[in-house]
Amino acid sequence: MSERKHITPIGDDGVYVLDTGSWRVFRPVMNKEKCIECGICLTYCPVSSIVGDENKVYTITYDYCKGCGICAVECPHKAIDMVPEGGTK
Amino acid sequence: MSYIDVLRESKNVMTPGSSACQGCGGELVTRRVMQIAGPNSVYAVPPGCMAGAGTVGWNYKSGIHAPIHITLLDNTAAFLTGVSEMYQRKGRADVNMVAIAGDGASADCGFQSLSGAAERNSKMLYVCYDNEGYMNTGFQRSSTTSLGSRTSTTPIGSAINGKEQQQKYLPLIMAMHNLEYCATASISNMADLVKKIEKGLEASKKGFAYVHIFASCPTGWGYAPQESIDVARRAVKSNAFPLWEKTRDGFKINYDNKKPIPVSEFVKGITKYKTLTEENIASMQRNVDSVYATLKKLAAE
Repeated sequence: MSERKHITPIGDDGVYVLDTGSWRVFRPVMNKEKCIECGICLTYCPVSSIVGDENKVYTITYDYCKGCGICAVECPHKAIDMVPEGGTK
Repeated sequence: MSYIDVLRESKNVMTPGSSACQGCGGELVTRRVMQIAGPNSVYAVPPGCMAGAGTVGWNYKSGIHAPIHITLLDNTAAFLTGVSEMYQRKGRADVNMVAIAGDGASADCGFQSLSGAAERNSKMLYVCYDNEGYMNTGFQRSSTTSLGSRTSTTPIGSAINGKEQQQKYLPLIMAMHNLEYCATASISNMADLVKKIEKGLEASKKGFAYVHIFASCPTGWGYAPQESIDVARRAVKSNAFPLWEKTRDGFKINYDNKKPIPVSEFVKGITKYKTLTEENIASMQRNVDSVYATLKKLAAE
């Protein structure tokens, strides 16, 4: 038997991913003029849809965002607005 | 390195798309714990919301980028004790052993194995996300459900008005075991939560660590998903969920609440508490005050 990398096996067919981005009714939009790059939204996002780069610039990714609206409520500078999906972009 | 830097720079171990509800407190807890513990860990998740949401995988697919097992509802801690022992023997003590269980799998069904593992001081971190009920099967009552809560097994009607008993305060029961580390945390106080998970992981190399995390549930409790953090914050501010930790040096209260808000303010706007009577609220307030007074005495120098 060949040497295994892990003692416990990982799922053979990769990782299960559900398209939760299609659940969204409201879309969070970040207003970069009000944003002070504090990163509070990143810590509270339950889906980890908000990412930050090494320059501490935060962006919202929409692939899996469920549109719960926690980021808009918790933003201390109210820099995130919830916009209805399907309207003008 | 501040807690925001820790969360920004750590890899997301869990699948990006999990079927947890919008604004789920449990998902938030699971992601943060897995981010901090990292992929060099073995996870055990019993049946419950997080297993149902896909962290344990589906059809030969894994739910996370790390080894994970779905245990039984009542043997999570016992199962992980065995895995932990095996890893110690193989000389892989660097691997974190992490259990992520709901309150039903910790306080009710899984209590004997949890208590046993704590008594044996098995090397692991046991995280309980407390959403006060069996949420994935439709909110049945558990022993940590608070007084007067509307659940599917304690409905509101002419015979009873929600749950008739006070909740069981599990963290203090766990602290009375001779364990390495015991703490409570809330999704609203993220800096405190991150610090406690880090401390718990460190303590899990020496013995048993237990972290009890308040995770509000919009679907079961009946409030809008965006209010999740605010509900958890009100629970902390009203002392309904005090934040404390117990190390080998003794108890310490981490959020010293000088002017707590009344419990009536915490329950406001949550549908499961809709029919609470004045008497219920007074009874809850007495319970909250007595638990907090006990903690104050334990934490006194």
